[in-house]
Amino acid sequence: MSSHDDTVSLSLEDICKQFGPVKAVDGINLDIRQDEFFALLGPSGSGKTTLLRIIAGLEHPTSGRVMVGGQDVTFMPPYHRRIGMVFQNFLLFPHKTVAENIVFPLRMQNIGKAQRDDRLSWAIQLLRLQGLEARYPHELSGGQQQRVSLARGLISRPALLLLDEPLANLDRELRAEMEIEIRRYQKELKIPFIYVTHNQEEALTMSDRIAVMRNGVFEQVGNRTEVYQKPKTVFVAGFVGQSNQMEGKVDKVNGGFLAFTWQGKKLVVPHAGDAKTGELVRFMIKHEDVQIEVASRKSAIPGNHNSIPGKLRDIIFKGQTVNYLVDLEGGMEIVASGSPRDMTLAAGDLVFAFWSQDTGSSFKLG
Amino acid sequence: MKPDSTWRDFLTPFVLLTGPGTLFIGVTLLVPLLTVVMFSFWRTESYELYADWNFDNYRVLFGEAAYRTFLIRSVVSAAVTSLICLVLAWPVAYYIARHGGRYRLLLVLLLAAPFFTGVILRIAALQGILGPGGLINMSLGLAGFAPIKLLMYTQFAATIGHIYLYIPFMVTAIYLSLVNFDFALLDTAKINGAGPFRAFIEVTWPLNWIGTSIGTVLVFIPCLASTITPRFLGGPNATSFGMSLSQQFGETGTWALGSAMSVVMFIFSFLVIAVLKFTIDLRRSGFTGAGR
Repeated sequence: MSSHDDTVSLSLEDICKQFGPVKAVDGINLDIRQDEFFALLGPSGSGKTTLLRIIAGLEHPTSGRVMVGGQDVTFMPPYHRRIGMVFQNFLLFPHKTVAENIVFPLRMQNIGKAQRDDRLSWAIQLLRLQGLEARYPHELSGGQQQRVSLARGLISRPALLLLDEPLANLDRELRAEMEIEIRRYQKELKIPFIYVTHNQEEALTMSDRIAVMRNGVFEQVGNRTEVYQKPKTVFVAGFVGQSNQMEGKVDKVNGGFLAFTWQGKKLVVPHAGDAKTGELVRFMIKHEDVQIEVASRKSAIPGNHNSIPGKLRDIIFKGQTVNYLVDLEGGMEIVASGSPRDMTLAAGDLVFAFWSQDTGSSFKLG
Repeated sequence: MKPDSTWRDFLTPFVLLTGPGTLFIGVTLLVPLLTVVMFSFWRTESYELYADWNFDNYRVLFGEAAYRTFLIRSVVSAAVTSLICLVLAWPVAYYIARHGGRYRLLLVLLLAAPFFTGVILRIAALQGILGPGGLINMSLGLAGFAPIKLLMYTQFAATIGHIYLYIPFMVTAIYLSLVNFDFALLDTAKINGAGPFRAFIEVTWPLNWIGTSIGTVLVFIPCLASTITPRFLGGPNATSFGMSLSQQFGETGTWALGSAMSVVMFIFSFLVIAVLKFTIDLRRSGFTGAGR
């Protein structure tokens, strides 16, 4: 594992956490670098919050080690760890003003008033909280409360900032704004952030690396484009981005490709796993990787593409993108996503859904 | 809409909603209280009240050493009892609120168990434990030891009685405060560098101070007025202000002096509430929406 690597600020070594018969966290290994924005992405109950609480020291792992800056902190109480944390429900101290909430960590470290005031004005400026210093938490909007919570988490320049679904209680517009902001703080301060979320868009927008977690284990850890474009498991492919799914028996394996038959159509797709001829595979392809063409212009589809005929059932206009819902014979459906510029199509048109043979991912089933 | 109808729109619900309660409190509390204040400036002679206005009752009250002693004794006793109840009740209430789980409600209801019987019976039961023929001293006697004098008819025994009688109020008040307290705030405090003690001082205590002060009032005031407990457990050296007061209305029949004593007791109770109220800043209590 990580010996003395200065760029590693947190490492988890084989962390397990058992609650009664339930393994909430099951053998997690992870190194977080000094300048990294790391997202822990997973559905609720996947163990991501438990893992975060273990890092914070609010829970002890059943086995394994937590190292912060090369020091074993597995059983160190949270108040000695120098870790900041931001919660979904903010958890500001309701009886303290904004300023008192923000300087709380510094007071606990017995830092003098002059330096506290200094740091306070720095944090107020960074999080644009000017004029709110004397307010009480209940007098603030949700977005302001979350910024105060961030200021409190950052003011003592912790070795690590943990964020537990910090934007889940905010409305959509504010969330989009805060996603950018939070990433900016991380890049400016160069403090590693570990960001727990069940929202894949948030994870993709903000982070450098993503770990997709399910049932207490990491399904995949990688940089965000890798996780999005090259999912390692069916779960990751289904959880990150929106995909079409097709299942069938492998007809032939040919180098990096495999061929299988789906809805009577022969499809050629990338072959990454170890599926052999005759075995059942699932092919998953993101909506935006599927294109669409009217039936009369079939000849315009390039040669190395899969294409499936169908009938355009509906066009879902989503602003920046458009989803084409294509009904196939046999009751199946394919969704193709594109830019709304070429809106010459109409519902009821006969079309081809097509995609390049080297996009998408196939997984052996069973 | 006619101009006077708005006035009526306000008055009708006001009278209907607050009328019955106001009337009840007026008749049962305010009238007797004012009567007592009035009597305290009168004079009693041979069990008769005479309406010749004077300050003699107060002069006696503050002039005679005995009454001063009773008053100081009662105030100190109430303060000591409140403090001990506070110290004993906090961990109990905290434990029930934090770790009581699904038994929380049951545990709190159990605190009310002593109220299944009357005060006299409960005090008599305590006497059966602390008194000369009581469980403790009789066992000591049978084992050949001298009895513990401290337990027999002393201020100490009376204080034990007070604590026993009033601690359920303190636990309940603190518990009710703690069940509405977000314990996750303690996690936040710890992550931000506060050890268990500082987290308590910075977060738990201030956010539960209102409940605690209500508990304190609920113990202090009945304790200040206590008559039965010191009479049964305290003996002659623990005569309380309340005991003396009830004698004025009973054996000695000096209603006017008794009334003056009531007024003094009322003022002291009021002072305690006022002092506690002074320590409460609603904006700093954690009650959201409490305003300014």
